[in-house]
Amino acid sequence: MTNLPLLMKSLVDKDLRVRYKRSVLGFLWFLLKPLFSMVVYTVVFTRIIRFGGAIEHFSLFLLTGLLPWNFFSASLSASTRTLLDNHRLIRSVYFPRAALPVASVIANAVHMVLALVVLELLLWAWGHPPSPALLSVVPALLFLCCMTAGLSLTLSIWNVYYRDVAQFLEVLLLAWFYASPVIYPLGAGILPSRVDSVIRFNPLSGVLEMLHSSMYYGKWPPAWCWVSGAAWAAGLLILGLAVFRRFEPSVVKEL
Amino acid sequence: MTSNRGTVSFARVGLNYRLYRDRNVTLMQTVMNLFGRGTSRSWFTALSDVSFRFEPGEAVALIGANGAGKSTSLKLLAGIYRPTSGTVFTEGRIASLLDLGVGFHPELTGSENVMLNGALLGLSQGEMKTLMPGIAGFAMLERFMDTPVKYYSAGMFMRLGFSLATSVDPDILLIDEVLAVGDAEFQGRCYERIRGFRERGKTIVFVSHDPAAVRSLCERAVWLDAGRVRMDGPAETVLSEYLAASGGRVPKPGAGVTPREWGTREVFFEKVSISGTDGTPACEFRPGEPVHVNTVISKVSGPAVGNVILGYSLHRPDGETVLAGNNLESGVPLLTVTGERNASMILRLQALEPGNYLLGISLTGNGTDYHWQDYMYPLCLLGDRLPAPVTLESVEFRSDGL
Repeated sequence: MTNLPLLMKSLVDKDLRVRYKRSVLGFLWFLLKPLFSMVVYTVVFTRIIRFGGAIEHFSLFLLTGLLPWNFFSASLSASTRTLLDNHRLIRSVYFPRAALPVASVIANAVHMVLALVVLELLLWAWGHPPSPALLSVVPALLFLCCMTAGLSLTLSIWNVYYRDVAQFLEVLLLAWFYASPVIYPLGAGILPSRVDSVIRFNPLSGVLEMLHSSMYYGKWPPAWCWVSGAAWAAGLLILGLAVFRRFEPSVVKEL
Repeated sequence: MTSNRGTVSFARVGLNYRLYRDRNVTLMQTVMNLFGRGTSRSWFTALSDVSFRFEPGEAVALIGANGAGKSTSLKLLAGIYRPTSGTVFTEGRIASLLDLGVGFHPELTGSENVMLNGALLGLSQGEMKTLMPGIAGFAMLERFMDTPVKYYSAGMFMRLGFSLATSVDPDILLIDEVLAVGDAEFQGRCYERIRGFRERGKTIVFVSHDPAAVRSLCERAVWLDAGRVRMDGPAETVLSEYLAASGGRVPKPGAGVTPREWGTREVFFEKVSISGTDGTPACEFRPGEPVHVNTVISKVSGPAVGNVILGYSLHRPDGETVLAGNNLESGVPLLTVTGERNASMILRLQALEPGNYLLGISLTGNGTDYHWQDYMYPLCLLGDRLPAPVTLESVEFRSDGL
């Protein structure tokens, strides 16, 4: 009955249209925001803490991790609220409600992909030309989107029952950022080896390392990244769909 | 095309809600509850063992007291709720008029919102493009389809919502309460369109408190009482049983429509009183006794507002407009509001059909709806029973400072 692809397209379209209403720079913000945070982190980690100096073109390295990280954190923050924000709609028309959190993830993914294209051009200009390994960006982003969608589905449901989820998420994302290989690479001897091996269990580690290695270093990502990325993506997506399926009928009555 | 499109059936349907002692559930409370503070959960049975079957083309009213499970039944039919037990079966496309314009995003234009809502209702872009002129036309918003809906008045917003929801050619139409949409003229067209669905053999499920609306639209009624079917049969029979059980055949004023208030309130009614000639507040009027509507009109700070139109409308309890007018139509100077001011209308009504009526008043002008009070003031007009309803003998507008 419902035309799901069309519904998704319309919701994503709405998200993108609405976001930059009344904004002078508009769509440019998808690039400006990561650039501003890149400048801040670069100054902090090369001038003040002096550890990024070990990495050539630290700013570009940072952006390679920052763009997917921003996507991840922005998607989770936005989609956690989607069911609550749309409660009147949900209670007056039937449609597949999972489309709401997923559409908000896709809208953020559109921004991330556009920004990554610009980043690839910057990398090229600064002597990191595209190599065949760049192809692994596609599965990496696919894994990232699947795990983000899975978590979004779960969190959007939980947040209906416990508003604490949205609050807790903010704090969690702060810690999660430093526990992810965004500002540092794994396996490069920068972290103590025990910390390094623990951080590999972070769901984002595999994906971020895939992006670092294929975009910044121009090398095929190591095997553990593929295994970790695929496993977390499948696991979290299945969890998300299962939670949503199980709780959707009761959540509608809670809203 | 099978003839089953439009069939609706409930088979032993039950639905429970979870109740909380405190709606504001936090993680902390849950943790406390785990440690023996007792569980805050209890269940409320909204419907139990409800069975009925509506055939294509039937117009059925769900009647019953508040909380009897009427709206819950509609939400089950719309697929919004899933039953706790039993099965809900519907065949064909459903249009639900449960809440109008809810999917609208304020920043998007009328046509963008229509396209987005079409996708929610499961229609393709192509189908929506074909329907668009009809939707805009019925809502009388052709000129405003490229305007963001946040600039719409409440009436425009609801009109677009109604027009959209009913343009999708449903097999089953679900209507919750009387749709008090827009002005009297538009309301008339809404009812016309709903009757049109009935004539074309669509199934209509109608939830209402109002006997007159039920009689005019439905031939069958299901009386729900505390989540169970108390009676199911011809509308007239079920209604009279229901009215007898709920203590009297005369509907209480305002039972069918809910009073509503809306508008920008740049200019607003600060105080309103209805009185007889002697000035004491009243709501019962003998034949020929003038109805004094005394208002204090005020405005928010800022420059004076001129050309304010003071209007009145009289409705039957089902919301049907009997008569309406304003100072502009009566050729009386419009109001200029600088600060607080008194204005009154004196209606001399001849009640040809005595009974309960609802009076609404409005402040409009300069293309803006300042303040509407729809169905706000119940009036009981006494008199002898005569064939036609009400005629206005005269209306006189008086306001100070003119």
